[in-house]
Amino acid sequence: MDDLRVPIGSFFVILGVMLLIAYFFVTASAPLASPRVNLWCGLAMLVFGAVMLWLARRSKG
Amino acid sequence: MKPGIIDYIILATYFIYVLAIGWLVKRRVKTGVEFLTSGHSIPVWVTSLAFIATNLGAQEVIGMVASGAKYGMLTCNFYWLGAVPGMIILGVFMMPFYYGSRARSAPEYLKLRFDEKTRGFNAITFAVMTIFSSGISMYALGLLFHVVLGWRLTNSILLSAAIVLIYTYLGGLTSAIYNEVLQFFLIVLGFAPLSVLSVIKAGGWAGVTARTTAWMARQPAFAHNPDVMTHTWKYMGHTSSNMMGVEWFGMLFGLGWVLGCSYWCCNFLVVQRAMAAQSMAASRLTPLIASIPKMVMPVVVIIPGFAAIALHQMNVPGLLVPKGNTYDYNLVLTNLMAQFYPSGLLGVGLTALFASFMSGMAGNVTAFNTVFTYDIYQSYIRKHASDAHYFKVGRITTVVGVLLSIGAAYWAAQSNNIMDFLQLVFGFVNAPLFATFLLGMFWKRTTGHGAFIGLVVGEIVATLTLGLSRAEGTGGWFGVVHVFPSAMAQNFWIAILAFASCFIFTVLVSLVTAPKPVAELENLVYGYTKMPVERDVPWYKRPGPLAVIVGIACILFNLWFW
Repeated sequence: MDDLRVPIGSFFVILGVMLLIAYFFVTASAPLASPRVNLWCGLAMLVFGAVMLWLARRSKG
Repeated sequence: MKPGIIDYIILATYFIYVLAIGWLVKRRVKTGVEFLTSGHSIPVWVTSLAFIATNLGAQEVIGMVASGAKYGMLTCNFYWLGAVPGMIILGVFMMPFYYGSRARSAPEYLKLRFDEKTRGFNAITFAVMTIFSSGISMYALGLLFHVVLGWRLTNSILLSAAIVLIYTYLGGLTSAIYNEVLQFFLIVLGFAPLSVLSVIKAGGWAGVTARTTAWMARQPAFAHNPDVMTHTWKYMGHTSSNMMGVEWFGMLFGLGWVLGCSYWCCNFLVVQRAMAAQSMAASRLTPLIASIPKMVMPVVVIIPGFAAIALHQMNVPGLLVPKGNTYDYNLVLTNLMAQFYPSGLLGVGLTALFASFMSGMAGNVTAFNTVFTYDIYQSYIRKHASDAHYFKVGRITTVVGVLLSIGAAYWAAQSNNIMDFLQLVFGFVNAPLFATFLLGMFWKRTTGHGAFIGLVVGEIVATLTLGLSRAEGTGGWFGVVHVFPSAMAQNFWIAILAFASCFIFTVLVSLVTAPKPVAELENLVYGYTKMPVERDVPWYKRPGPLAVIVGIACILFNLWFW
């Protein structure tokens, strides 16, 4: 394995996408929080994963 | 708590990633040395995050949220006093000897510096400790999933053990370290939303402090200082004025000096991560860089528990579950998740719990492997075999270590005084060690006989102190000479007495035994080791300036929440 940032980045991108799917299609809610936390956390993880992948790509090229 | 399909898909995705990383690392690991020590090949940002992740086991995460609910901001002392100073001491003062001696493990350093018996004693006690702590944390995780999800204990234990076994068997230490970085990010990103959501719900930080103060005002013992939960040091004047039952001396010396430094400077579990770094400079930077996220970790693991008390004060049901005449604080983390995490994020939270468990267990397994293979097998069973032979032994040891941990988990399930035992094992193995390493590295006169007798005396004193004192139902099997106000106070004082007795006996015996010839002390002792000088590197990549900055930041945190 060359760069650990690739698996970490792709993992969090997948996680982010799954949370967005949960927000749009499952719309479950918790007693004290609205389903929107899935949206915000999904976006945050998507951004984190994308930054990791971008960093890995940048150091390679 | 009822996870949906999406939550199980998230958990399964994580398991696939963990195994895939193990499989990818396997292609790079071709020798026994690489399997057991990573062959000094890992970048510094990776070793730094692995350094704290291996300590962020499930018990640490669950326990810190529990302590946040029980003691509030007082718990931050475990980070700003019990961790960061120890990490600075390791990076600045101790790492040059660990790395410079070319030892492959902490016990091996003791062999090079002192003698065979000191190494053997430390290696065997350490090996036993790692097995028990990974077994007990496996049991803790299984019990939690049994209570909140209704999973069978055996299923959780076997599933988590099997996955850790596969990825450590495939890629050894490198695989464990790489996975620890993934686990670190997952723990932080998985639990941080809980902190944010619970604090917002409790009315922001002002709401949390006001409501926890109102909560403490209802407790008769703290009616006169109800803000006790919002301070770290203010009520450390006397054991009766804070819930920990500890006063400043026990806190400062017991936790900060002895337990903190013993753990972060002498426990091979964490030191091994720094030793795997690419160069001497990288190995010294590892604990210093790691101390930066460590310092802000209370936001993720302590604040949610603290905020839970504020929410409980607002009559939010289901957070504090009564247990006897107190509450079951170990369930606070999962109760918060049930209240705040909808399906989706719930899967991330549960996955983060699994991740924290695996990082702790893999740390124990890889440290056990190295110590068993090099310090026990190579020293006492088969001395001059090929690297390929030790590679094979290392792999077999991985399997045996995991099986023994499973045994320890079931033993813990049978026994009803696990905490007593765990406390004894940790106090016993860890507390005196810091005196041994400190004297060994900085006093050239220290002898092997001195170190060995000091360690034995320190451990006897630890056992006697626990056996002769009592606190909250722990200890006192030989009779009760002293009663401590809390188990934590007892723990801190055991550490202080074990350290002091080990220190004194090491010095006394060293003075009457023959010292090691100066020629044999090279790279092992201060004064006979060429201390690394960093030239041509920017100041922020040098251990000295970084340590000063981290130290000042840590002091500021202490003052901020004084």
